[in-house]
Amino acid sequence: MIELKNITKTYELNKNDKVVALDNVNLTINEGELVVLKGASGSGKSTILSLIAALSKPTSGEVIVDNKKISKLPDNFASVYRRDNIGFIFQKYNLIPTLSVKENIILPLVPLNPPANEIVEKLDRVAKMFNISHKKDAIVRNLSGGEQQRVAIARANVNDPKILIADEPTANLDEKLSLNFIEILRELKALNKTIVIATHDPLFFDLDFVDREIQVHNGKIIL
Amino acid sequence: MKNKINVYLIEYAINAILRQKSKSFFIVFVFTLLTFLLTSVFFITNSIRYELDSTVDTLPQIIVQKIKAGRHYDIDVDAVDNILEIAGVSDAVARVWGYYYFANAGVNFSVVGIEQYENQYKNSFDKIASKFDLSEIDSKVSMVVGHGVKETMHDSYYKEYFNFIKPDGTLKRVNIAGVFEADTQLESNDVIVMSKDTIREIFDIDESKATDIVVKVANPEEIPMVVSKIKLIYPDTRIISSEDLKVSYQNIFDYKSGIFLALFIISLFTFFIIIYDKSSGLSSEEKREIGILKAIGWRVDDVLKEKFYESFIISFFAYTLGVGFSFAYVYIFQAPILQNIFVGYSQLKTSFELPFIFDLQTLFLVFFLSVPIYIAATIIPSWKVATLEADEVIR
Repeated sequence: MIELKNITKTYELNKNDKVVALDNVNLTINEGELVVLKGASGSGKSTILSLIAALSKPTSGEVIVDNKKISKLPDNFASVYRRDNIGFIFQKYNLIPTLSVKENIILPLVPLNPPANEIVEKLDRVAKMFNISHKKDAIVRNLSGGEQQRVAIARANVNDPKILIADEPTANLDEKLSLNFIEILRELKALNKTIVIATHDPLFFDLDFVDREIQVHNGKIIL
Repeated sequence: MKNKINVYLIEYAINAILRQKSKSFFIVFVFTLLTFLLTSVFFITNSIRYELDSTVDTLPQIIVQKIKAGRHYDIDVDAVDNILEIAGVSDAVARVWGYYYFANAGVNFSVVGIEQYENQYKNSFDKIASKFDLSEIDSKVSMVVGHGVKETMHDSYYKEYFNFIKPDGTLKRVNIAGVFEADTQLESNDVIVMSKDTIREIFDIDESKATDIVVKVANPEEIPMVVSKIKLIYPDTRIISSEDLKVSYQNIFDYKSGIFLALFIISLFTFFIIIYDKSSGLSSEEKREIGILKAIGWRVDDVLKEKFYESFIISFFAYTLGVGFSFAYVYIFQAPILQNIFVGYSQLKTSFELPFIFDLQTLFLVFFLSVPIYIAATIIPSWKVATLEADEVIR
């Protein structure tokens, strides 16, 4: 389902300074698989997630999702691809702090201009699923870290995407909340979603519902 | 279905404005103030120009004044007969008029003498002749006054009559018979009309003398020829044609407009500083928000539409407020402070009312000078950020 072919990604800091984030990476992730990318900070895990979500383009190589070369998509098509296929849970949640929980969750639906009842239905579904219904009208900046993460997960799922991506999802949570998140992951996996997680949190290692753990080191995949 | 207005985007735009209350308030305040200033300047200028054009239309075709040692002296009334003999001249009237200084208010009034049997040279004076019985004005020693004169006299408790001080120090009581209704406020506001005899007595002008002579020429094309003939007969006179007066009035108007132009430029300059500041870049929070929206599936045009709604709502709201305040300021409150720049024709301080001129062009001009520029200044930096890779923006 997801295929990274000979991917190299170079960040140009200035004219004379380049950083190779990924170096000739090849990776295949099957539909419904839950894959954990392990590795230290700066190893290239987040770059892999960013390429799968078409948030950035590879310097060379191809990213293929559902037999479509998404690495070549023009910007507007990449946005539509993300909207229809990807739910992204960012490390720092990337919520809009001055908006309410409800407003944050429905943000991916706004450009689609759906009927009001469809919005309410989708909002209620994810708010209930991720146990945030009671805080729907609260302003996000007033929520705890765990609550903010649940809002971010709800937003990532509001469009019912096929692929869920999480970048260091427990980096800002204590152990109890991290374990809660792992339980949520288990439920999402049960919904047959393809899930890719980048983390260096040991809580994710050796989990029974994780299909594969892939080590990333210095921009390369260690087999 | 595709063209349906996206109310969620509009709602998001309104929320974005309300989320940044102090910033939005500041922008609306400055925008409203500048729109108000610009529109007020245009409204006042339009009204004054209308007044000026109306005034110029009623000017006499030729005025003959006697000049001695470079100064204006009273002219012999006999000259009227000689001027009437010039071919092309259809009428000539000896005018008796002057300025009376009203010390209580520190202003000058223009006092004009008319007689019922004379063919009047101004449409506005014809109105007086039809409205009041001039013989009665003459016999009862009465006068008709402009609105400004009436108000100024009322302020000094002269409601039914006024005592003019004659050059010999004695008083001449003249009753106020009515208020002068003329086409233009600028012209009529400071005017007092009375019989020529009364004026002669107040200013001590001899029966054989007049202040000047106004000449009417049947064919306006012949005015230059008539002017040169009068000059030949009376070389000691200054002859002013309506064209000369138009130029003179226009010069005063242009000078006053210059002050307004300066105000206009300052307003515009301030506006463009704000625009420059806005277009020079977005704050890190604004950039991050665009990055988040892109990352969750908003397209560049979704972001730009939202920014368009946001900037349109804020700028159109401020524009409407500014224009509304300007209407009230100019036409209801009669432009206090700014109007004073224009009051002062003939060194007068009497008030005059700005006529209501609804000029759609002005409204469009101010709109196009402000709203689209503000929208562009908001959209361009957003577009620059929105076209970057979402990953790069969020990082």
